[in-house]
Amino acid sequence: MAEDLNWAIGGEAGDGIDSTGKIFAQALSRAGRHVFTSKDFASRIRGGYTAYKIRTSVDDVQSVVDRLDILVALTQRTIDENLDELHEGSAVIYDGERSWEADVPDEVTAVDVPLKSLAEDAGGAIMRNVVALGAACEITGFDVGYLDESLEKRFGGKGSKIVENNKDAARLGQEYVQENYDLSHLGYDLETTDNDYVLLNGDEAIGMGALAAGCRFYAGYPITPATNVMEYLTGRIEEYGGHVVQAEDELSAINMALGGARAGARSMTATSGPGIDLMTETFGLVATSETPLVIVDVMRSGPSTGMPTKQEQGDLNMTLYGGHGEIPRFVVAPTTIAECFWKTVEAFNYAEKYQTPVYVVSDLALAVTEQTFPPEAFDMDEVEIDRGKLVDEDEVDEWLDAQDRFRAHAVTDDGISPRAIPGTTDGAHMSTGLEHDELGRRTEDEGERVRQVDKRNRKVETAKNEENWDYREFGDPDADNLVISWGSNEGALVEALDYLEEDGIDVRVISVPYIFPRPDLTGEIEAADETIVVECNATGQFADVIEHDVLTRVKRINKYTGVRFKADELATEITDKLSEEVPAQ
Amino acid sequence: MSSDVRFTDFKSDKQPTWCPGCGDFGTMNGMMKGLAETGNDPDNTFVVAGIGCSGKIGTYMHSYALHGVHGRALPVGTGVKMARPDLEVMVAGGDGDGYSIGAGHFVHAVRRNVDMTYVVMDNRIYGLTKGQASPTSRSDFETSTTPEGPKQPPVNPLALALASGASFIAQSFSSDALRHQEIIQEAIEHDGFGFVNVFSPCVTFNDVDTYDYFRDSLADLEEEGHDPTDYEAAKEVILDGEKEYQGVMYQDENSVPYHEQHGVTEDMSDIPDGAPEDAMDLVREFY
Repeated sequence: MAEDLNWAIGGEAGDGIDSTGKIFAQALSRAGRHVFTSKDFASRIRGGYTAYKIRTSVDDVQSVVDRLDILVALTQRTIDENLDELHEGSAVIYDGERSWEADVPDEVTAVDVPLKSLAEDAGGAIMRNVVALGAACEITGFDVGYLDESLEKRFGGKGSKIVENNKDAARLGQEYVQENYDLSHLGYDLETTDNDYVLLNGDEAIGMGALAAGCRFYAGYPITPATNVMEYLTGRIEEYGGHVVQAEDELSAINMALGGARAGARSMTATSGPGIDLMTETFGLVATSETPLVIVDVMRSGPSTGMPTKQEQGDLNMTLYGGHGEIPRFVVAPTTIAECFWKTVEAFNYAEKYQTPVYVVSDLALAVTEQTFPPEAFDMDEVEIDRGKLVDEDEVDEWLDAQDRFRAHAVTDDGISPRAIPGTTDGAHMSTGLEHDELGRRTEDEGERVRQVDKRNRKVETAKNEENWDYREFGDPDADNLVISWGSNEGALVEALDYLEEDGIDVRVISVPYIFPRPDLTGEIEAADETIVVECNATGQFADVIEHDVLTRVKRINKYTGVRFKADELATEITDKLSEEVPAQ
Repeated sequence: MSSDVRFTDFKSDKQPTWCPGCGDFGTMNGMMKGLAETGNDPDNTFVVAGIGCSGKIGTYMHSYALHGVHGRALPVGTGVKMARPDLEVMVAGGDGDGYSIGAGHFVHAVRRNVDMTYVVMDNRIYGLTKGQASPTSRSDFETSTTPEGPKQPPVNPLALALASGASFIAQSFSSDALRHQEIIQEAIEHDGFGFVNVFSPCVTFNDVDTYDYFRDSLADLEEEGHDPTDYEAAKEVILDGEKEYQGVMYQDENSVPYHEQHGVTEDMSDIPDGAPEDAMDLVREFY
């Protein structure tokens, strides 16, 4: 592992923490460095501790670690919250002029920079965070020119004056440290590379995937941490002739999206757990009316309002089983930010090919984390669009009954019926949440009921056979120790392999992006001596379904503090867990 | 088929299971005739219905249609119209569906001014669940769940629409076939949200708001010389606690429907075979 740098800025919500962090992250990305960011934030607009953390390396970084090298502290609480992560080589940048003296541990270097007055010299106190970024560049030996590029990108729209003022602010911060401190003992000298990277978060990747896949209609209601999907699409979807509507509630959002889908548009809604609860009634209608719809659940801590700004993978059962009656559905769960893009593209294809609702289950850790990728990770030429059995006027004729009526819910061998969208001549038909016959008309006939239930469920069987419900694999494929994970834990797990290897522990990691249908892991689990399932919830929802599939007990690592797994922490937990007794059969 | 469409083309071969004499027969006939008369055909028409007796209408009519969940028909219609501005969208529901469980959606659909026609079959009772009070039931109307009456004022849907910024508000009576059809047609032709509250008597459970009651008490706004473009006059007839009216209460002549306000004009069902040609620009934004 090349030397990482772990940088953070912390203060009160409303202090511009997020945008400052983003500016620095973009500068590092433009310098050809890998970046992985994480955020600590509270569910309030002003006040309350907030931090933006960046881990950067010339090597790929996919997780956070318990270590902080440079901390821009706007409050004492920022220091207190991060005490455990500060070390001998850490520097804390603070503004002593603002009538506080940073209380830092003895071994940590406190760097007092008059952030506010230097910012005022550059044109306004608002730029004090940018002064701190200049100071951070000086301490880390990072070329401030990349910061300039990032500032241009951020403030270019506000005019050259603002851009220049910000650049000045960064210079003043840099020069101040240069003139007043000798920090060469810290030994930082950040490398740059010629690599091109893009920097984005999971919500943005989902939005981009939707656009690439031809999504034209989005209806949603703001909710943390899914709102960014809507914000990303707003203003962009119009360029492709689409539209975003902010509905009055989640009930409306999913029903609007259902309407858009029935009208023939690739349609989507995104929400978080509480919103999924509200959408569940209509979810059943979507499935029964055989409407292709993509529903994104960006999970956060539950139940109820839970911890809106904290990580959890607690909705697996909800998406897998939610709703009354028995509802055929697909559940895909991206494991990385890039996969947020690809799984969204896949979701639209599954939705239309199988005429079912498809859940894309993401989580807060993916949603708010920004990570660098080479642009080829989102190669648009690889995007395929499959609209399934969408029939035109001529094909409609094949599906007319003796009375020339279109059978939109025709019982077929693969369970999939022809789909005529409004405007298709002679395709007019109704669909309903009531049990219905092939024409979509209500029925309580026993035979019809069974035929339609079987037909809808058969789509899932067809999909199980036709699609590749694969998994991603890391580590030693022949290792006796198997660790299974789903969702955002993959990055931390992959990095944990390095720590485990140092301790001589060989592990095979299987990261599963499909909850339903999902790969059969029987062979993999039987081949291993020990299996551990890692997930961010208290009860082990994925471990339960694995045990159900394989009929073997597995060990579990569960974290439900509201904070995502860290690589070093996972390595320790896996080591401990391997030495534990296997649970009783 | 649009030029020679007859209203019977909008009729399915399913026999309605409404009670004999139900007001919904007349309401539906007016809807079908209104659609045919305004040049629509089943293949360019989308009918959305909610739950209850009124919700069955999608089964008895023939068009592209969705029979959804209780109270949510308006958002479905909104989604259809946004994705396909070329379609004629008609939403049908009852007083419980629209003014109780769906009241929130009603307010927002009205203020969005989505170009669709909303027909509420108002019988002032819950029929399909066998006779409970509805949001438009009179405050002293005795039912199985309100033995002494609801003891709360009924919702005035017209006033609710007006307060929400409606661009077209009308009321009709299902048994006055010609007037009902005319009013429905005006609502269809209106550029924006055409709202029609239809008195559609329940012959089984409501012995107060009967055909005779409406026949005797309804005043026709046209006969009274009401000018629907006069907002103040509209307010007066809508808030009139003494009299009930049929006719167009209010119409905003300058109404601009949602899709035009928001520049939503494309057929969203038409998408390329792969990612859009310039899709890599989306990625480069993140440099």
